[in-house]
Amino acid sequence: MDFFAPLSPAEYAAISLSLRVGFWATLVSLPFGIITAYVLARKTFWGKQIVNGLVHLPLILPPVVTGYLLLLGFGRQGPFGTILADCCGVVLAFQWTGAVLAAAIMAFPLMVRAIRLGIEAVDPQLEEAASTLGASPLRVFATVTIPLILPGILAGAILAFAKALGEFGATITFVANIPGQTQTLPAAIYTLLQVPNGDAAAFRLVVIAIFVAMMALILSEYLAKQLGKKVSGR
Amino acid sequence: MLRAAVLAIMLPCPSLAQDVTVFAAASLQTALDQIAVDWHRETGDQVVISYGGSASLAKQITAGAPADLFVSAAENWMDVLEQGGVIWANSRQNLLGNDLVMIAHDQTAAAIVLEPSLNLAARLQKGKLAMGQIDSVPAGQYGHQALTHLGLWEQIAAQVVQTENVRAALALVTLGEADFGIVYGSDALAGQSHIIAKFPPDSHAPIRYPAALIQSNLAEPFLRYLGSDQAKAVFIAQGFAVGE
Repeated sequence: MDFFAPLSPAEYAAISLSLRVGFWATLVSLPFGIITAYVLARKTFWGKQIVNGLVHLPLILPPVVTGYLLLLGFGRQGPFGTILADCCGVVLAFQWTGAVLAAAIMAFPLMVRAIRLGIEAVDPQLEEAASTLGASPLRVFATVTIPLILPGILAGAILAFAKALGEFGATITFVANIPGQTQTLPAAIYTLLQVPNGDAAAFRLVVIAIFVAMMALILSEYLAKQLGKKVSGR
Repeated sequence: MLRAAVLAIMLPCPSLAQDVTVFAAASLQTALDQIAVDWHRETGDQVVISYGGSASLAKQITAGAPADLFVSAAENWMDVLEQGGVIWANSRQNLLGNDLVMIAHDQTAAAIVLEPSLNLAARLQKGKLAMGQIDSVPAGQYGHQALTHLGLWEQIAAQVVQTENVRAALALVTLGEADFGIVYGSDALAGQSHIIAKFPPDSHAPIRYPAALIQSNLAEPFLRYLGSDQAKAVFIAQGFAVGE
């Protein structure tokens, strides 16, 4: 096959689906990621280690286990899947939205870790100063903490996006491998490798995957540098 | 105890130089494991069997994996190895056959006859039908071929959930995530699934499991044993068809 031939509709669908899944997984999990990171960095409470462990579970478990648990919990027969379908008509299993959920959960620990590091680097005295001047805790968080940890948030978001883009094991277990619906870039590459003489087509997608990942990384480095300048005022 | 465990992790694997290494399609696992035990009891020789998807195994063999015998679930991958001169071509034989069935999650689902007049969409209603990838997984290819041949594919194409291997389709039906599934007869037996229909054999290409020796003839006795009455009985008990 010709390396420079135009992409087939299925290849194009896989790439755009991966980008869409990565974008939504990052966007939807970001508020939860910031809150979780803040709580873990600043609060002490009973069971903190348990929460910390739960957040990190997707990082430690084999992805296929996470995917299987999602299928058991959020599948059509699962307890959460049934509730979501009955109350809001939301079905996740075998839909691209399910791929978003799988990618978001797999990327969550990476996001929380990056943001938490950002929060821990912030001097708490800046926040205390704001509250002694009469700012409410919410206002302190929104106008002092958030701007200071923006680089951390950005790093977490980009990491999560890159992870979501490449998520394979949990996704293929939870939402299967339906071309045009749940077949993401890695699943498309995997599928092509199962076909005799599919290597050339797979290689093109591999190159595209590397390109997209590198672009995301370069963009994040650039933005982090810009933000760093802004935050430090230099 | 701890020291022993640490040592066991650090030490290299004991050499298995004289053992025969077999690469076999994942669907054969239950049967081949049992046959390997019988073989060891009869001859005292060991076989080491690595299971996986036929495509992955074929690629590993092409890349020089130390396999002595390859049993594939798909003829096309054996063709690739034969064209590449990797296998011993005159040792190639069709070891087994299989049939294709439709299974249902609901154990009380009524049997259906797969023929062009069937209203499959009405049976499936809003449910899903799980099967292997129609362009890469052999069971999916056979299933797609059969449904297309019978003129039923268009009815249910939008409800098909494609999986990365046939056992994943089986699992989705067992869990109830998919109402119907298309799997091999041997899978349905292994999963104790409720079979609602058998595909007519003329609706798809014959399902064959080719076996061939790779370079050496080290595995030749074991390959011959796979064709023995004793091994055949095990394969039949697992739902495979044997011998031509």
